[in-house]
Order: sequence, then C-alpha cells, then structure tokens
Amino acid sequence: MASSPFPKSSSAPGEGRIIAKLLPEGISGLEAFTYQYPLKLISPSRPSEDQSVLVFLLSYGGGLVAGDNVNLKVDVQPRAKLTIVTQGHTKVFNSPTPDIVTRQAMHVHIASEGALCLLPDPVQPFEGSVYEQTQIFKLEKDASLCLLDWVTQGRTARGEDWSFVRWAGRNEVWTAGEGDSKERLLVRDAVILDSNKSHPELPELRSSMHGMGVMGTLLLRGPLVKSLGEFFLSEFAALPRLGARDFRSDAAKKAAAAAAAAAAEDGSVSPREKWRTQRLEMESRSKLLWSAANVRGCVVVKFGAPEVEAGRLWIGSMLEEEGSIAKHFGEHALMCVR
Amino acid sequence: MKQSDEDINNEIADLERRLAEAKARRSRQPPPPPPLTSSPSRPTRQNLSNHFHLLLSDSALPLGSFAFSSGLESYLMHGKTGHHTHTSFPAFLPISVSSYASTTLPFVLSAHRDPSFSNLCELDDAQDATIICTVGKRASVAQGRALLGIYERSFATAPGVSFPRQATDDLKQYSRLLKLQSGRADDGGPPAVSAHLAPLFGAICRLVGMSLEQTAYVFMLGHVKALVSAAVRAGMFGPYQAQKTLAGGTVRTLITAMVDREWETRVEAAGQNVPVMDLWFGRHEVLYSRIFHS
Repeated sequence: MASSPFPKSSSAPGEGRIIAKLLPEGISGLEAFTYQYPLKLISPSRPSEDQSVLVFLLSYGGGLVAGDNVNLKVDVQPRAKLTIVTQGHTKVFNSPTPDIVTRQAMHVHIASEGALCLLPDPVQPFEGSVYEQTQIFKLEKDASLCLLDWVTQGRTARGEDWSFVRWAGRNEVWTAGEGDSKERLLVRDAVILDSNKSHPELPELRSSMHGMGVMGTLLLRGPLVKSLGEFFLSEFAALPRLGARDFRSDAAKKAAAAAAAAAAEDGSVSPREKWRTQRLEMESRSKLLWSAANVRGCVVVKFGAPEVEAGRLWIGSMLEEEGSIAKHFGEHALMCVR
Repeated sequence: MKQSDEDINNEIADLERRLAEAKARRSRQPPPPPPLTSSPSRPTRQNLSNHFHLLLSDSALPLGSFAFSSGLESYLMHGKTGHHTHTSFPAFLPISVSSYASTTLPFVLSAHRDPSFSNLCELDDAQDATIICTVGKRASVAQGRALLGIYERSFATAPGVSFPRQATDDLKQYSRLLKLQSGRADDGGPPAVSAHLAPLFGAICRLVGMSLEQTAYVFMLGHVKALVSAAVRAGMFGPYQAQKTLAGGTVRTLITAMVDREWETRVEAAGQNVPVMDLWFGRHEVLYSRIFHS
C-alpha cells in the first residue's frame, strides 16, 4: 500500500465521543470527552447537581451548514447516568443543491443499569435544507433511556413552513447482545419528510402537515423511566373521548361547573386532577394532539402542535408533573423543555 | 453392386447413433404448449397463478379489511372537532396511500424477493418494531393471521394444485413457530413472529406465481379498496361513487407512482411520511364512538 504524504488523521470531521462512568464517590462523571469541528461539547466543571453528568451538545455558529457531518459515539458505563441537552434549536442551514446532505448520527451504548436522558431543543430545518439524522441506542439489561426527538416547521418569522427540501430522522432502540443472546431491534421510529411530490394529487409537504408547526416523539425504555412511561399511558387512556356529545341541559352544566369550582376551592380536588384539568384545557386551546403506546417494552409518545412553544409547554408539563426525570437525572435534564 | 456386410453394419450403426442423438435432443426441449382448443385436464402454471391473482385481489377475500378504516374514521372525527379545516375523501386518499406505501410496501417487496423462512421472520420482527401504535399493529396482525389461515386452509389444500416445495415448507415452518409461541407464557421479550400482513402477502403472492409488480399493485389496490369501502360504510358516498373512485385515473396512477417510489426502498429505510397519520391512527382509541377497528 502506498503511504500517504500527509500525517495520519485518527478522526474524521465532526467526530465526537462521550464516555460516562460511575466515579468512586458514587456520582457519574466523564471518562472521555472529545469532539471536533463542527461539533462542540461542553460539560460544566462545577455542576450544581450530581444525579447525572451533564453534557451540552452544541455546534459552532449555532447550527449545521450544508454538508456538515456530525458523528457522536456515546458510551454509558454500568450504573452511570448521563444527561445530554442543547442550547437552543439545532438550526440546519440550506443546501446549495439537494445532493449535499447535512447529517447527524448518534450511536449510543448503555451498559447494565446505566441511563441516558436526552431532552434537547427541537431541530429547526431552514428553507432549502437537506438533513438526515440517525440515532441508534443499544441497551443492556436494565439500562434506561429517555429520548426526545422533535422537528419544527422552520423560521416562522421568515414565513418558513416546512419549506426544506428533505428531512429524514430515524431512531432505533435495540437490546444489546450479551453472552449468547443476539442483539434485537425493539423499536424503529422513522420519519421521512420530502418536498418532492411523487404524484400530482399528493399535497405539498406543508399542507400534509395539517397545520402542525412541531412534531415530536418521546421514546422511553428501562427501569428509571418505567413510572414515566406508565404515566403517559394512563394519561392517554384518561383523555376525554373525542366527539362525545354533552346531552345535559344548560342548567345541569352550570351546576356541574359550579360544583367543580367549589370542590377546587375547598381542596377536595387532588393536585393531580387540578393539573390534569388545566393541561387538558391547554391541549384543546393550543390544538395539541398526542398519543402513546407500549411497543415491545418501550413507550412511544407522539405529539404535534401548531405552535412550537405549545409543544414545549406540554412535554415540559408532563415530565415535570410526573417528576421522575428530575429525581433521577436532576433539574438540569429538563432545561430545554421549560 | 452388392454392398459389403461391413458397409451395411456401418450404415446401421450410423443411423442408430443419429436416432439416439435426435431422441436426446427432443428430451432436452420443453414440451410443446397444449393446443388452445383442448381443455387441459389440470391447470397449467400460468392460469393457476392467474386464478390466485384474482382471489388475492378480490374484496371478498376474508381478511376482515372492511373492519379497518386505516385512520379514516379518526381523521373525520378530528376534522369534525376542529383539528383541521378541510376534510374530504379526495384529500385523505392520496396521503393515506402514500403513507401506507412508505411504511409498509418495502416489507411486501422484500418478502416477495426473498420468501425464505429466515427472511420472513426477520421482516415480521422488523415490521413489528416499526409499527409504533397499538391500533395499527392490531390491524396488521389480524389481517396477516387471516391471510395465513386462508392460505393454509384453502390454497394449500386445494386439490390438483401444487406449489413449489421449498416455499410451502418455509410457510409451514413459519406457521409452526407462530403457533408454538402463542401458547407460551410471555417472558418479557417480544414474540419471534407476529404474522404481520405485509411480509406474508409478499411471500404468498410469490408462492402462487404472481410477479413482483403484480403483487405490489394488488397490495396497494387492496388498501385503496378497503379505504373506499370504509368511506361507503361511514356514509361519505354511495357504491357508485366508490366504483367511480376506484376506476378513476388518480387511483391507478397513484398506485403506480407509489410502487415506483418504493421499488428500491430497503426495509430499514421505510418510514412515515405523513406524521399526523400516526396521531390519527393512535388516537382512534380516544374516539367516543367507533364503527371500525382502526
């Protein structure tokens, strides 16, 4: 083999690596932490909380330009807890031609009883951008994952409304192969938004989004997010039935409303019920739609809202009300959904 | 002039050799097609696959498709309750077909290209991981199990019909695995196979001799027919309008365009291209009244 005249490069552009481990004093810390342009990682040197170790996932210039290729590898060692957040939307700038694709890939391995909480800001693809995102998670026995993946319609102030060329995102949750057992795919959540209409009768991308300005997916798996998953499933089951008719007379409705108000006054309504009433009002006011399902031992929550902020308020309210994310990972895990 | 014995012997030997060669040549050639006027005593391969093609594309195929609206019922109710403004069947049809093709058609195509037992199991498992809502999963599995049952009880046992041995063995093995685990206690992991419709449809169409293109077309047309019949049942229009929709150019060109679009799509790259469809599907469970299972 002919040798290259250039010095050997050990890494390709945009490569990053995070290894989280359990320190002797019982708190989580970082064993390795490397990154390369355009990827930038920051971990506060004097963290205010120690339930999990915090890493900011950033990019130079606050966004990804055409052709950027970010490739992050994350290892969470046994019993370590890692939290990854961002600082503002991940902007994706436009591509000069559709064949220049901006890519972000994340490959995560979570060892036994380790946990990762990834609650970033949404991705904001600009007009003319071409973006592909792949996030693969391999979980050993009793590992936990909380993943939020959301995308917005773009810069509404500039009139952008799903005006990009293409956005494709894929999230996969696998069980890691241990010993004799083979690794196995548990959930594959893939979304392909393409401005290229493959038939004249198909609507433009923006009209196929039916007025939604943000679409999101929350994926939960493992013992640390078990109660959170059950919370989403039970709140979904408790949603008021759509299209139910109210056959009561106006007087009966008024009496029921007065009784509910009185109950709220004297404290006979639980804080959870009060919160639920307010949340349901907010859902209906902001036209937020969501659903939740148990898919092969993972809880998958899908939501969409016309306004990005309504989506953020909703997911933040759900996570905060249930409380286990803050308990297991610290308040800092929730900073992007507040 | 009298020929010598040797010459006669040589001539006989030569004729015998040429006869043997000619016989060998004939045995290598395919048999001639039966004359068109004669009625064949048993079906030829061609009209056998044609026969099953018609059965598999019949709306009377008892897959229970009429019980599923593929999100149409939920879409209508979300429109009625003010979640989107314009609600119509002509608006829903193209996005539903496009979404179904982008999420599901690659599994049909892959199973037809490789209907082996191992690929069938892999496809079923991967699709089970991909359908991220309870309602959609229920619909896919109910129809897949129905199709497998129809194949086993009606196609495979039809007298005078023989399917390729390897393919029938693969399906037998698949069915055995499905029955084996349904009696087993849940050990926490997902089942090895669930009998989703798309991979089984691809494998069974291949087995009865349908081409890849026919299979993809019939699969997508089946979806359209189920949607149209759901619209009739939901009172959106009557049976004549339904037939007009089915015969119309939109359905035909749409299916062709979708099959073209997904022809090369790997199952790993299949995904949802109308994200609100997931919400309508998932939220079918919160409808106050329902006439469909999906």
